[in-house]
Amino acid sequence: MDNLFSQLSTLGSSLILLFGIALLWRKSLRAYTVAFQWQSVALTVMFVLIGYFSQDVELYIVAAFLFVLKVLILPRYLERMEKRFGDHRELRPYVNTVTSLIFSGLLVLLAYVVTRPLVLVSELPTRGGLPLAMGLIFVGLFVVITRKKALTQIVGFLVMENGIALLAVLGTYGIPLIVELGVFLDVLMGFLVMQVFVYHIHDTFESIDVDQMNELKH
Amino acid sequence: MLTGFLLEFSQALLVLMLAPGLAGFVRWVKARLQNRRGAPIWQPYFELAKLFGKEVVISNNASWLFRVTPYIVFASALAVTFLVPFIAAPLPFDNVGDLLVVVYLLLLGTFFLALAGLDPGTAFGGMGASREMTVAGIAEPTIALSIFSLALGAGSTNLSHIVIATLDNPGVALGPGHLLAFAALFVVTLAETGRLPVDNPSTHLELTMIHEAMILEYSGRYLALIEWASWLKLTIFFSLLANLFIPWGLALTLTPAALAMAVFTLIIKLAVLGVVVAVVETRIAKLRLFRVPELLGMSFVLALLAVTSSFLLK
Repeated sequence: MDNLFSQLSTLGSSLILLFGIALLWRKSLRAYTVAFQWQSVALTVMFVLIGYFSQDVELYIVAAFLFVLKVLILPRYLERMEKRFGDHRELRPYVNTVTSLIFSGLLVLLAYVVTRPLVLVSELPTRGGLPLAMGLIFVGLFVVITRKKALTQIVGFLVMENGIALLAVLGTYGIPLIVELGVFLDVLMGFLVMQVFVYHIHDTFESIDVDQMNELKH
Repeated sequence: MLTGFLLEFSQALLVLMLAPGLAGFVRWVKARLQNRRGAPIWQPYFELAKLFGKEVVISNNASWLFRVTPYIVFASALAVTFLVPFIAAPLPFDNVGDLLVVVYLLLLGTFFLALAGLDPGTAFGGMGASREMTVAGIAEPTIALSIFSLALGAGSTNLSHIVIATLDNPGVALGPGHLLAFAALFVVTLAETGRLPVDNPSTHLELTMIHEAMILEYSGRYLALIEWASWLKLTIFFSLLANLFIPWGLALTLTPAALAMAVFTLIIKLAVLGVVVAVVETRIAKLRLFRVPELLGMSFVLALLAVTSSFLLK
């Protein structure tokens, strides 16, 4: 039983990480949104899975919230923003595709190194997924750093948030419900604030390329 | 001892005979998916017979390298068929070579093919050779890495040992290391055997061709040998995918019933993979040449993750 649980949780974490890495290989915002949506679906399944194996009803509630927020609401908003700004492709990120893919591989390696002490002392059946969740946080951060469009940076932030949620649920089998709800509210608020920022950037510069904000210095 | 040798030779012969059929089958499925009737599955055998009967025409500028390459390419592919467990494991030739030998024998053929493309000094040949090297340079380490991730689990680089270790411990087959490595090897298979997102196997006249551009100068029995070798390579890669990751059906004992079962399952597995590749080829368009390294970079990262997860989760 435990063996099956640990296999499934590692498998699920790898899948979630793969959707994160898929961001680096795709270019259109539509593909970013779809990858994020599927990642959130996988994350929901993960929550349900852990809730089932640890017999924790609260996790089902969290999974339901997660599904509504990250699979239904946020992708809808992202699509709406994409329509408003037209099809902005991430044509020239700071780091090109091949290099960023290799970097993401190295980041996951780094995550393995960083979490190694944690994994060694941990007795949890889900410990195999911990480095992967950490790797996903790094990859999300990497997307935020290296992409130029404000929208793709937002998706990077959301992916990083997914990584944090995954790490939390793998490491603790779910933090208290009230904290989880607070986090969701935080994500939603953060997202809305960023959306407002994007609209303003677009109004001022007629582009959502954050590179242009350098002009403010002059 | 004698049965061992007999097994090896019958296995090589089987794969040699099966290879054109597999290529014909993939072509046929593709044709059916595109609403064409398609050539019969045994068409490649006729092609081989026709090419072997034809006269060889060689450019005046070609050196001995051009003449010797078809034999090297064919022989290196043939040598691999002795080392990969197609129908039975363990094999008596296991001690001769492990996965490193397999990978680099395949690379040897690619290397000489690229040299032969450069040799007659035509523009297409040089172009094809440089492209092939670009692809091979990223694909080759990915093959090695993805099989390494299996080797780490089995504790041996010997292909038969890897197969037997997976059979002993079936849970491994669903682990993330295995699945990631499978995905990586699948992408590389498409690239190395010149299938669609990387190279279009069914056209001669595309400026983006890779494999066809290198062998444009070949004719007659030389062309036959090279074509046969490339079909062999397809069969070898498919069998690596099928038997390393889903080894069930392989004969562990040398009884006639087990061997017959193994041949049967091998054909089924190859057919399933053939259908998958045909569907993939019908579904997607060819990538721009400059995006090919990105695709291969993706598969390299998959392989790297596979190795990390099987190494660090042990």
